[in-house]
Amino acid sequence: MPNERPTRYGAPAQFLHWLIAALIVNQFVLAWMADDLPQGARKLALLATHKSFGMTILMLAILRLAWRFTHPAPALPAGMSRLERRLARVTHVGFYVLLFVQPITGWMMSSAKNYSVSWFGLFTWPNLIGPNKTAFEYLRTTHDSLSDVLFAIAVLHILAALKHHFWHRDDVLVRMLPFTKSRGR
Amino acid sequence: MRVLSAAALLLGSFAWQAAGGAPSYTADPASSRLEFAGIQAGAEFKGVFHKFAAAVDFAPDALADAHIDVEIDLGSVDSKDDDRDSTIRGADIFDVVHFPKAHYVTRSFSKTQTGYAAVGALTLHGVTKDVPIEFKFTPGAGGANLTGSATLKRLDFGVGQGDWKSTDQVGDAVKVAFSLNLKPKP
Repeated sequence: MPNERPTRYGAPAQFLHWLIAALIVNQFVLAWMADDLPQGARKLALLATHKSFGMTILMLAILRLAWRFTHPAPALPAGMSRLERRLARVTHVGFYVLLFVQPITGWMMSSAKNYSVSWFGLFTWPNLIGPNKTAFEYLRTTHDSLSDVLFAIAVLHILAALKHHFWHRDDVLVRMLPFTKSRGR
Repeated sequence: MRVLSAAALLLGSFAWQAAGGAPSYTADPASSRLEFAGIQAGAEFKGVFHKFAAAVDFAPDALADAHIDVEIDLGSVDSKDDDRDSTIRGADIFDVVHFPKAHYVTRSFSKTQTGYAAVGALTLHGVTKDVPIEFKFTPGAGGANLTGSATLKRLDFGVGQGDWKSTDQVGDAVKVAFSLNLKPKP
């Protein structure tokens, strides 16, 4: 059968998965650190770094989505219930949506506040919208709330991966891990 | 003798006025613009000063008699973000409580290939330093337009204390651009 679904994720998919995961953890840490600071140079410096990494994630998300569309993911293990399959689907689609929506709402937030987004000081992204206080407040609420959603589905995703690995003892976790061999189940 | 020379001076100044030496103007506040652009975290940001007063004596053929005098109400800064504006007005940057105004007075003018250049003293944040400007002067119906720019270094004036002294976050160079709609002084 041509186009047979692979049993493991390929190296590029693994690389993008773990790189983006690490960058998202970093985004949460930078945002939390900035939240704790009063208005000032240090806060702006942290937020500028947050924005640069956010734009990096957006670019990687484009790559990742393109890769995902051209390279099918391994099938889910047999024996998963319909609910579990649906949950897995919702989680994964949610991640892909948020990989785009979070950077873009953040970018729009900056534009609405009249802070253009630089990419690590190398170049400046164009503003998506003009200065607008109402839009900024709305976007901030959206960006904040979606970060909670992202956190929640990340927790679900990690718990599910661990459940697959330690409870069901299948290769759902291992097939996304570099330098491992699948258990052949 | 003293009276005579005073009269001569007075006459002289009338003659000079009559010869069209350097007519006096004031900038119309509503249609004039004073803006600045700085770099923060690698990206440019722009703002304007809503309140400033400019008095200009200028004629292209009387550069020796030319003057530009601008007084800027620093509290009127507007960068389209209240947080940034209050930070700029605050003690670590403009410190408008102690230094509410900036003042620019020219000293000398010269002709350039594209227009004119002037050197003047800018007093900002309690520090006075020379800042050159370049501009174009376009006479029009019922007045003139004076459009130009300058670049200054904010740290020369101590604008940016504490964490704001670092140029990693906010660049030292600040560009200033102005477009003055000049009306004859009444």
